[in-house]
Amino acid sequence: MTLFGGAAPGPGSEQRGPRSSRRKPVSLGFYMVAAFTVVVSFFPTAWIFLTSIKTEADIYAWPVQYLPDPATLENYLNILRETPELLGYILNSFIVATTTTFVILACGGLAAYSLGRLTYRGRNLILILILAVSMFPPLALLPSLFNMFLELRMINTYSGLIIGHAGLYTPIAVWILTNFFKTVPHEIEDAARVDGASSLRIFWSIILPLSAPGLISTGLIVFIFSWNEFPLSLVLMSDNFMRTAPVGISLFPGEYSFPWEIITAATMLTILPILVISGVFQDRLIGGLTAGSGK
Amino acid sequence: MKHANRAGPSFLAPALLIIAFVLLFPIFQTIVLSFGSNSTSIFIGYEYAGLANYQRLLNTPRFITSLNNTILFTAVTVPIELLIGIGLALVLDRNFRGKGLVRMAVLFPWALPTALNALMWRWMFNTEFGLFNSMLSDMGLIAERINWLGAIPSAMHVMMFVSIWKTSSFMALLLLAGLQTIPDDLYEAGSVDGTTRLSEFRFITLPLLKPAILVSVLLRTMDAMRAFELPFNLTDGGPLTSTETLSLYAYRAIFQYVNFNLGSSAILIQFIIIMTISVFYILMIRRGDL
Repeated sequence: MTLFGGAAPGPGSEQRGPRSSRRKPVSLGFYMVAAFTVVVSFFPTAWIFLTSIKTEADIYAWPVQYLPDPATLENYLNILRETPELLGYILNSFIVATTTTFVILACGGLAAYSLGRLTYRGRNLILILILAVSMFPPLALLPSLFNMFLELRMINTYSGLIIGHAGLYTPIAVWILTNFFKTVPHEIEDAARVDGASSLRIFWSIILPLSAPGLISTGLIVFIFSWNEFPLSLVLMSDNFMRTAPVGISLFPGEYSFPWEIITAATMLTILPILVISGVFQDRLIGGLTAGSGK
Repeated sequence: MKHANRAGPSFLAPALLIIAFVLLFPIFQTIVLSFGSNSTSIFIGYEYAGLANYQRLLNTPRFITSLNNTILFTAVTVPIELLIGIGLALVLDRNFRGKGLVRMAVLFPWALPTALNALMWRWMFNTEFGLFNSMLSDMGLIAERINWLGAIPSAMHVMMFVSIWKTSSFMALLLLAGLQTIPDDLYEAGSVDGTTRLSEFRFITLPLLKPAILVSVLLRTMDAMRAFELPFNLTDGGPLTSTETLSLYAYRAIFQYVNFNLGSSAILIQFIIIMTISVFYILMIRRGDL
């Protein structure tokens, strides 16, 4: 059962009865609050974008020049020409986040199926233990993981960081997926079982296809987490060419000066996928987050 | 129908293996290291030192400062995030034209990488060429440019502001899940009785939202207590150590001063605090108090 009562909200759960006060027409004041929210939310990104298309001279000008004049893609081209390692960081992030997502969906999906739909002793305890270890601060892993990975020669390898990220986010994925899998009707599974299908076969041919929305939600959330992850990526990837985008950009180039024209352009490139995902898949993300939290 | 299941536990194996390798064993080793000295591993040259690291930390002013910073940061940001989060959740619970855009606006700050977001704000709060100094000076509100991130206590205030900006949306999404479980019938019954918006919120929404509020406050508190990449990228813990959080202190102890044992103790103290707060919250959720 869920803490909030009811099953995970699926698509369409927001539909209200026609007489609900929540369906009353909204006022002008309400629209102003909504508009304010939108402005505040996109404001920093808009400013970073504007900075990224200014000339270097205009970026370092006082009084601040609010709009780019002329607008230029020079900073982006400079990344290509002079600091291609920044593109390498984004590629590293892409390799790590994508692989992590699939590893987690495979391992976490199997575990969630076992915990959510099969009956055996101790499964609730295991679910609680999985959640409990994920409460440890990621920093608590750093001293040990760094040493272990050094011994195993996994520092500065994709597989090392992928395993690290998979470990960090498998618990949350198991949690979300367990809740999604519980919503698949038992009748279909029972029918297949009567026909003699094995658990693995039922998982593959029935549960997975029927919970595709849940898998997509979980996959997107895990992808974003891995794409954004900082402490493990900082410590497990120390080689300049192996860094992920958030770490690589924040350590670029040295400790004292910040080349904002490059940093803003590289930041825009890195958050572009996030912007697209949160625009296109907002239903999926919200569905996944609420299924994961509300229990 | 009962599902016969010998296969069940074996399906757990891959996930449990990864969790044991990346979470369980390292956590265990960190705990053991925190009671050791001059050792980076429990296998090679481990020396037991009892509570020495903990005693040393409690007598280190810089550690105490980072502890205070972390608690202050959490105590200020989480309640404000809750208030903003409730407001945003109430907005998202309504149906209106353009809702998709507002929903994206709420999701987007949550989905941004904290590290890069910290850099974005660092640029906007830049003293010489920053947007905020320019706007304030254009409006005639300041004569001199303000060194936001280079002064005490403004650096901490900026860090709190950035955190509130970024994570109120997460709070809102969790609270929205709670709001959506409140049945329409209750509001309809209320409107028959002629309740006002305010009393509707006070007597219907708020009591039923309590569990969601407790869960989201718990999750955010745990998260705020371990803030790391925000100070790392926004202020580097400075000026002096005025924005150094527990996580940043522990990171520096481990990787800059290469004292794995001291750093591990700092993380353990952080964890004990988080654990205590969590247990306290969970007991409240169980008892249905608050």
